[in-house]
Amino acid sequence: MWLRRIATDRIAKRFAPDEALIIAAPVKGALRLSAVNDAAAALGLRAGMPLADARAMHPAIAVAQADERADLALLEAVADWCDRYTPLVGLDAPDGLLLDVTGCAHLFGGEAALARDLVRQLARRGLQARAAVAGTVGCAWGVARHSASLPPPERGRSASAASRVGVSSHSMTPTRRTSCVDLPLSGGGEGEIVRSGEERNAIAPLPLTALRLDTDTITALAQVGLKHIADVLDRPRAPLAARFGASFVRRIDQALGLEDEPITPRLPVPAALAEQRFPEPIAHERDVLGTIERLAARLAHVLEQRGEGARLLQVVLFRADGKVFRLEAGTGAPLREPRLIARLFADRLDVIGDEVDPGFGFDIVRLCALVTERSDPQQTGLATPDHDAELAHLIDRLGARFGLRRVMRQMPQDTHIPEFAVTAVAAASLPSPLRGGSTAVAQRRRSGWGSEFLLTTASNSHDPPPQPSPATRAFTPVFDGLWGEGARELAVSLDSPFPTRPIRLFARPEPVDATAELPDGPPAQFTWRRVRHIVARAEGPERIAMRWWRDEAGRTLMRDYFRVESRDGVRVWLFHEWPADPHLAPRWFVHGVFA
Amino acid sequence: MLPADMEQLSRLRRAIAKSEALPEETRSLALGVPAIDAALGGGLPGAALHELSATPLHLGVAAGFALALASLAQEAPKERAKETLWIATDFGNLETGALYGPGLDQFGLAADRLLIVRVARPVDALFAMEEALKCRALSAVIAEFGETPDLTATRRLSLAAKDHGSLGLILRHGSNDAPSAARTRWQIASAPSVPDEFGGLGPTAFSLELTRNRRGPCGTWTLTWDHHERVFAALSLGVAEADRDRPDRETLRTG
Repeated sequence: MWLRRIATDRIAKRFAPDEALIIAAPVKGALRLSAVNDAAAALGLRAGMPLADARAMHPAIAVAQADERADLALLEAVADWCDRYTPLVGLDAPDGLLLDVTGCAHLFGGEAALARDLVRQLARRGLQARAAVAGTVGCAWGVARHSASLPPPERGRSASAASRVGVSSHSMTPTRRTSCVDLPLSGGGEGEIVRSGEERNAIAPLPLTALRLDTDTITALAQVGLKHIADVLDRPRAPLAARFGASFVRRIDQALGLEDEPITPRLPVPAALAEQRFPEPIAHERDVLGTIERLAARLAHVLEQRGEGARLLQVVLFRADGKVFRLEAGTGAPLREPRLIARLFADRLDVIGDEVDPGFGFDIVRLCALVTERSDPQQTGLATPDHDAELAHLIDRLGARFGLRRVMRQMPQDTHIPEFAVTAVAAASLPSPLRGGSTAVAQRRRSGWGSEFLLTTASNSHDPPPQPSPATRAFTPVFDGLWGEGARELAVSLDSPFPTRPIRLFARPEPVDATAELPDGPPAQFTWRRVRHIVARAEGPERIAMRWWRDEAGRTLMRDYFRVESRDGVRVWLFHEWPADPHLAPRWFVHGVFA
Repeated sequence: MLPADMEQLSRLRRAIAKSEALPEETRSLALGVPAIDAALGGGLPGAALHELSATPLHLGVAAGFALALASLAQEAPKERAKETLWIATDFGNLETGALYGPGLDQFGLAADRLLIVRVARPVDALFAMEEALKCRALSAVIAEFGETPDLTATRRLSLAAKDHGSLGLILRHGSNDAPSAARTRWQIASAPSVPDEFGGLGPTAFSLELTRNRRGPCGTWTLTWDHHERVFAALSLGVAEADRDRPDRETLRTG
């Protein structure tokens, strides 16, 4: 689809309907016209003309500043809106869109009807568009912009925007050619449909600019006398490629369909979707939620047939005036249950409900499963309740409400540095450890999707954690080998009645004033948070130093940790830090708190 | 339907209801210390909300007590497959520190059966706790609140705990004044530990004060937690250390 006058249409509201309007942009220092509207074109102004000339010709013409970002934003908004026709919409900057309507056209009564509807809706919003439906991107592009049967772009005819509408959509039929719908086109050039197999005839009369070539190639071709595509279609390829470059020949092949050109969709295409259109837009939240539940039931049916469950779900709400809202919810385990999906989105709407403003209502509600995963049905017992599923659902709901990164488990890391000995990992991305040693391999289905949850390959060990026997319980911590080697060995060797690691750790160690009797010894007293504690007992030092090869960076971390108990019984984990610079005095910090 | 069928149907309904009913009063979490268990009437009520308060200096100890209770709850026979949930607020993490895996593991709570939810605001923590209490797959839910949740909030949580048979623990900063609908209320402080034979730190010691108990008397006790065996033991106050310079005198040890 080609939005012919996107730049002027965007700001047309500020000016009178038939007033000539030109847009100026600085090009290499001089102001040139970047876009003109129909009335200005009728007066003989063209894009590329210097502004001074234009002003000389028509002193009172209205001029506006070019704003490419706003134009692009408008294009993106239109692309969002075109999502209602097909999920595969690609941007053809700066003023076109490519829609793949394979298989979607029948929902709107055929390709011509789709094209007509698209153009008409856009015209109602004040945007002129021209459309062409064809079997290949190249053909559709060329036909939309340069076809002679559509009203030509620069003819001097004054006509209001509403009457000159052309719908542009592009159907890419696969190599197994499906037949295009043959519908009569209404007068006024509303839509140009190129039936499959007729690309050659369609592009033959077009000028060579319809092939998306750069200007140097066009001038070179013009110099040789080749002006229309028909001239080059029958020539041998090798000399053309040698003279004008391989890309020229590739464009011809793409237009004819001999070479594949896929459309890059703007947004990821969902694996499965269900949608509901309303003749009267709905605005109540409970109606939206009820619709989501019904759609989820339909989606569950499709997913069940494929044996899959959804990991990332998206609800797309199309507002009646064209704005599109997208809500997402990720899950920890593949989910199919309609009721649970509806609850997830109920939570989501609870959180962001204020931003989703229904306005006059939503006329389409669509539920997509963006990422799916194999989900085999599991045999559940009759007597034992299904704890795994309940827990997974709780994690999903809390994740939907607060963000999946805020529901986490702690994973041990192989390092003796206390701050890094544990990392928090989103619980949704880990398989439940209680599912009897299953190796859950969840791979990333669609790359490049910046979602907030992780799909990782995680495998549980196949043995259950070793159950401590009564005899050895005093000597082995509960989980062998999971936690930092340093802490485990310390506990094993010391068999201390008091834990060696605190239960709470501060993200930033808090500085304290402490005085020690000996330079290397534990403090005799310390003042922490304005309370003075006198040390009754202390154990340590435990020296934790950075690995020696980090010294080159200039940062050495050397800490002597003490487990300290004050006279009142307050037990903290203090350390004595030796800074890298020998001239600075060593300092004391509280890093953690014991029970 | 025939009267005989109706009677059979109601008989079946009763039988199903009986088999499905949660034995609420029999599920108590025994602490292992006879004095406290007797005061609590068998143990901490398992399907209820309990409140642990501590002054800011002793918050670490209160968290430790909560974790010790959660560790006991995890080891109960029916709860082996269930997990523990800890709800923390961002501000609480700044003030008292975040939970530290290696430390928890040593303390006796299986850290891979622990889920941590970090929320931004206390009202979110209330929501999370209510949802978690309704989930039957958790053996204990612990939430830490900076400001006091009010009476209606604790009543909701208490009902949720009772209806779904979950154990809920609230950690509060401050003293015990505000009204609350929890089943039992405790005030926790740290106690000096008994040093081991080398003069080092002994097992973690808590000073508990039970301020509200519907099943028995209130009282104060001092307990120690053995993190290897994962049991509580009573520690009576006033244990005299062995006199090192008078080896002929007997050591006075009680408890």
